Amino acid sequence: MKDFLTMLKRSPAAIIGISILLLWILIAIFGPSISPYTYTAMDMENQMTAPGQGGHLLGTDSLGRDVLTRIMYGSRTILTIALMTSLFSSIAGIIIGFSAGYFGGNIDTIFLRVMDIVMAIPPLVLSMVVLGILGDSSILSLTIIVSIAYTPATARVARGALLSCKGFEYVDAARIRGENHLYIMFVEILPNTIGPVLVEITARFAYSIMMIASLGFLGVGLQPPTPDWGMMVIENKSIIREAPWTVLYPSLAIASLVIAISLFSDFVNKVMVNDK
Amino acid sequence: MQFLTWLIKRLGFVILTLVAMSMLIFLLVEVMPGDVAQTVLGQSATPESVAALRESMGLDDPLPVRYGRWAGGFIQGDLGESLYMRGVQINTIFWRKVGHSVILALTALLFYVPLSIFFGVLAGVKAGKLTDSIISFFGLATMALPEFVSGILLITLFSVKLSILPITSVIPIGQSLWGNLHILILPALSITFVMFGYVSRMQRSSMVTVMNSDYIRAATLKGMPRGYVIFRHALRNALLPTITIIGMNMGWLFGGLIVVETLFGFPGLGSLTLSAIKTRDIPLIEACVLFITAIFVFSTFLTDMLYVYLNPRIRFKGGDA
Repeated sequence: MKDFLTMLKRSPAAIIGISILLLWILIAIFGPSISPYTYTAMDMENQMTAPGQGGHLLGTDSLGRDVLTRIMYGSRTILTIALMTSLFSSIAGIIIGFSAGYFGGNIDTIFLRVMDIVMAIPPLVLSMVVLGILGDSSILSLTIIVSIAYTPATARVARGALLSCKGFEYVDAARIRGENHLYIMFVEILPNTIGPVLVEITARFAYSIMMIASLGFLGVGLQPPTPDWGMMVIENKSIIREAPWTVLYPSLAIASLVIAISLFSDFVNKVMVNDK
Repeated sequence: MQFLTWLIKRLGFVILTLVAMSMLIFLLVEVMPGDVAQTVLGQSATPESVAALRESMGLDDPLPVRYGRWAGGFIQGDLGESLYMRGVQINTIFWRKVGHSVILALTALLFYVPLSIFFGVLAGVKAGKLTDSIISFFGLATMALPEFVSGILLITLFSVKLSILPITSVIPIGQSLWGNLHILILPALSITFVMFGYVSRMQRSSMVTVMNSDYIRAATLKGMPRGYVIFRHALRNALLPTITIIGMNMGWLFGGLIVVETLFGFPGLGSLTLSAIKTRDIPLIEACVLFITAIFVFSTFLTDMLYVYLNPRIRFKGGDA
């Protein structure tokens, strides 16, 4: 932990990243209760007002809804879903990847072949096909489907991390002690692969934000009137000339959040993997 | 001969992957809830007419029979008939859109390959200096942005502020893409944003490795001009991993096209895929998704071949391959 803080002091990029991420988390928790508007409230006198006018800090959209309020509500859903997908896909990936790597042989070969095939469909395409056909995207269905779409990738990382530990004496020692496979995998090996696993979770967090935003943009994510950053962009794209703020601010929100998490993830990578 | 065996093995695996892929896509799409016949006829249709349509579309046949019919048609180049646009053969619309997407993808390649190699080399040569930090940060930031976010930033700058490029990339009715090449610029730039990060980071790190190698040090110590060392000696070897990354990302590129084409309204494979999903046009979804994955599988295969061909350390005995 002390190591972590000293390294953090020397990395301004990581400090910026972590600060922006914390800021977004605070906005997600407190923002909606501070805002004088609700995300569906239509201000009929102020449609497409520019930022700063009529009491709307970031302006309003064509229906007179407050852009800032919708962004603040949107941060809740996107952060929740992205956090859950990065956790779930990592857990599923660890279970599958560890089992394949640990038992090796035919199980491992079959695992690798199946993953090769599933990974040939881009995760975005896979998710949009399933969500589009199901037709009704909720927080739950988005979380489950994106987690599944990401699991082949996380499983490969987990398998690689396990293989790098497999030959060590402590693993053999545990086996000779008569510990069962589950114990060896999750109590002995898992703590030793925590570096790459954490890197994977943080990187996955950034990917998940991109994915959720893109799905919302394509119209197969959360459905209106729930505010979603990606959806706000495509909804208002037709008025980008008249009211550029309705498109630009949600885009900047996505950009700042993803870049912040990437900077954080880059730092975790430096601390946990490269400099050990 | 060893190369030939390797090639046949790899090709066999490509075909096997495609077959498994097609089964997976077919299952995924067909097993989903929702009655196709009901979708086609609408909610007000009588049960009798739905049953009649199911019968005529062969939807009541068992799954393997339907798969066989579909895959058989596919191999013969028959992509089937669209559900949403009744009576329209998918072949008549599909390949034109694919052509548009390929042109867009090639334009993007033309933009991002030289740009990212140039800046990657520059960052690698100046490793640890300010130039490197700026290029590396820019790469990380652009790589992290979804395509539609960089697209919106580009539209705001070039279309709203400067008014020099169109907001949408639609082809006017009765005209072809060739007369409207300027509509390719912003979509291609959006893809460039994302790809620049991946490729330039790879180019940078391989450049750093090569620049620290003994033979480059020897060449420098011999007193060769720095530019000559960088371009004649280092770059040739440092390009190999970059080429691999570019090839591996071809499949990715086609996935990313869905977002870019939707943003700009560009009539390509990506926007066709999305509209197929929105209209639940099952045969069209299957054709689009299978095509996208086929591109991924083949580009990975070609990249492997190119890697073997370019890497002097991999040589098969008994041949000059």
